[in-house]
Amino acid sequence: MLQKAAPSVIRDSVYGPSAGKRVADLPGIVGLNLESLFPDVPKAIYVEGDDVSVIRKATENALKNTNMDKIKPNSTVNILTSQYGFMIMGGYAYTEMIKTIKEVVEARTGCSKIRLRVATGFRIKEPAEIIKHYGLKEYFKGQASPALFLEKGVPIETELGTMYGIAKIYDADFIIHAHHGELRELDMHRMMSRAIKPFSMSYARMETRSIHHMNFGPRSSNIIPRLIFESPFVQSKFTFGCFLETSPQGIIGVDADNDMDAIDRRLMLLAFKSYGKIRELYNEIRECIAVMDGTGEPRYMIGGGTTFGNLTEAELDLFDLEKIPVSLGYGLYEYPPDQPKLKSVNPCIKALVMNHFWLGVPQLELAAHIPTILVGRKIQDLVTSDCMNHKFIDYVVTAENLVTAMAFAKRLAKTENVIAFDGAFGAITCSQPLAEYFIERAPAVNERVNNVLMPKWLKQRGIDPATVNA
Amino acid sequence: MVYIKYLVRVDAEKCKGCGKCANVCPTEAIQVQEKMAKVEDEKCLACQNCTGVCPEDAITKILRVKPLKLGVNYEEVDQAGIEDLCRKAHLHPKQWLCLCTATRVRDGAAAVLKGAKTPEEIALMTGIRSGCAAYCLMLSMRLLEAHGVELKQPKGYRWYKTTHTLWDVPRKLIEKYPGYFLEEDKDVFRKF
Repeated sequence: MLQKAAPSVIRDSVYGPSAGKRVADLPGIVGLNLESLFPDVPKAIYVEGDDVSVIRKATENALKNTNMDKIKPNSTVNILTSQYGFMIMGGYAYTEMIKTIKEVVEARTGCSKIRLRVATGFRIKEPAEIIKHYGLKEYFKGQASPALFLEKGVPIETELGTMYGIAKIYDADFIIHAHHGELRELDMHRMMSRAIKPFSMSYARMETRSIHHMNFGPRSSNIIPRLIFESPFVQSKFTFGCFLETSPQGIIGVDADNDMDAIDRRLMLLAFKSYGKIRELYNEIRECIAVMDGTGEPRYMIGGGTTFGNLTEAELDLFDLEKIPVSLGYGLYEYPPDQPKLKSVNPCIKALVMNHFWLGVPQLELAAHIPTILVGRKIQDLVTSDCMNHKFIDYVVTAENLVTAMAFAKRLAKTENVIAFDGAFGAITCSQPLAEYFIERAPAVNERVNNVLMPKWLKQRGIDPATVNA
Repeated sequence: MVYIKYLVRVDAEKCKGCGKCANVCPTEAIQVQEKMAKVEDEKCLACQNCTGVCPEDAITKILRVKPLKLGVNYEEVDQAGIEDLCRKAHLHPKQWLCLCTATRVRDGAAAVLKGAKTPEEIALMTGIRSGCAAYCLMLSMRLLEAHGVELKQPKGYRWYKTTHTLWDVPRKLIEKYPGYFLEEDKDVFRKF
């Protein structure tokens, strides 16, 4: 059940320093195998380091029943991708799925004008870094481009009025939605139209992303991707979706369909069963030190196959649609009503050690809520220059290196429970005492999710639990 | 108070004058003249937009000799006016206008009541849009519209005039999409 911790590779980027010593290398840190904790979650076909040919095969199989009749030999087609897919286990699986989509579409339709579009969040140079790192410019014969939220927009007429997509996303006859099922920010999507959320985020201009994030409520915001996706403009271009099916255990398959509602439903059921359990397991933590030690911005860094944001909000059952989360829209919904604060952070996190991460989102709430220790001068310089977190540096201290940072964090937090967000899927990188605690608590989590929470989550979305094989 | 510690510099050898930087600058601090980007230092909030989009990597951030101090003291403005404006915009005075700079909506409302007529002017008065430069734009536009300012679409694509909110959803859509809590979520705001 306990194995050697295996952190994900850290990609070079202008948004963070190069990788140094990893938490997984420290004495007493182990990898807790997730399959043994939650045996009823479908087995992974791929974790980082495996041969990506299984992804190619799964993608080919998934695409067999997908209708591509719209695409003609002289059509232009954009494969739409998002930066986060490239952060899942080093991005090798996502890249292989994208390459396979291109080759299958070429073979099936005779179309040769297939281009790649890489969308992103606030790390403006990241798509260009991705295209270079994975050799995608060469692979797409020069037809691979970043698609940025602040570049020229294209109006999309919806039932609510005009929204704006990124022009480069839609500058082809047809589009293919290449995404993944990683849970990422449950506080935002609540597993409502999750599969089409990129249409109001990744593929949208900043104004439309803001309408989604800032102008609607914690559940109603998810109408925005639906309105955009169902617009005549997008429907005239949409062909099919192709998704990496993920769970905390790894990639469990590839799903493809012309019907996004069908993909959405399958993703939802998988998410309840898999991410629902890891969130509940994290909800069992009473005290811990969290360590940022991977690729990406802290909220979206992976630990135990799910993002840090799912630990910072684990005490809230955000699958439950009756719950009003306190975190959407930068504290918009926080109580008490006359004192809106920063986002809430799970009080079980007694200290935060930032060993490696990238800039990329406003995240002042972390430093404001948790005693935070930066590791080394390079990370301190990074934080000092971060334009998205002007005051973050005012809340933190800097340790000379990872060893001294961890020692200080343990004295401060008075706990030996350490959990690392180092990009690992299939196992939780943690200290042995926390691993033993997780093993003790897992059966109760399994029971609670299968028998209490899952039926509630399903009923709230109009699904009879009896019709679902839990 | 927001302290802008950096500003940007354009490398004349690298700049080709393409104008992408000018199109994304949230304060109109960059103008292209004679095929060369020129930066007005007092307007530069050192967000990452121009450095991010420059295809030649010709723009870099440097430390200011003295930080630029920006901010609006909301206490200098009629409090009832701030509350009234926020209510019209469906925003809470204490909610975050800009998390990057930890600026609240009441500060943006004060800027509007003090005479800001555009999102760019709000940014230059309060220091917002010096980070992600995105989400605070929307709330700025909502405050201006609520104050009766007609937003005029700038040339190019610096921003697009589109500010739909939960309150703009027509009844037929609320009824068409019952699973999205379009009516119920208004209560979340009403609790303010």
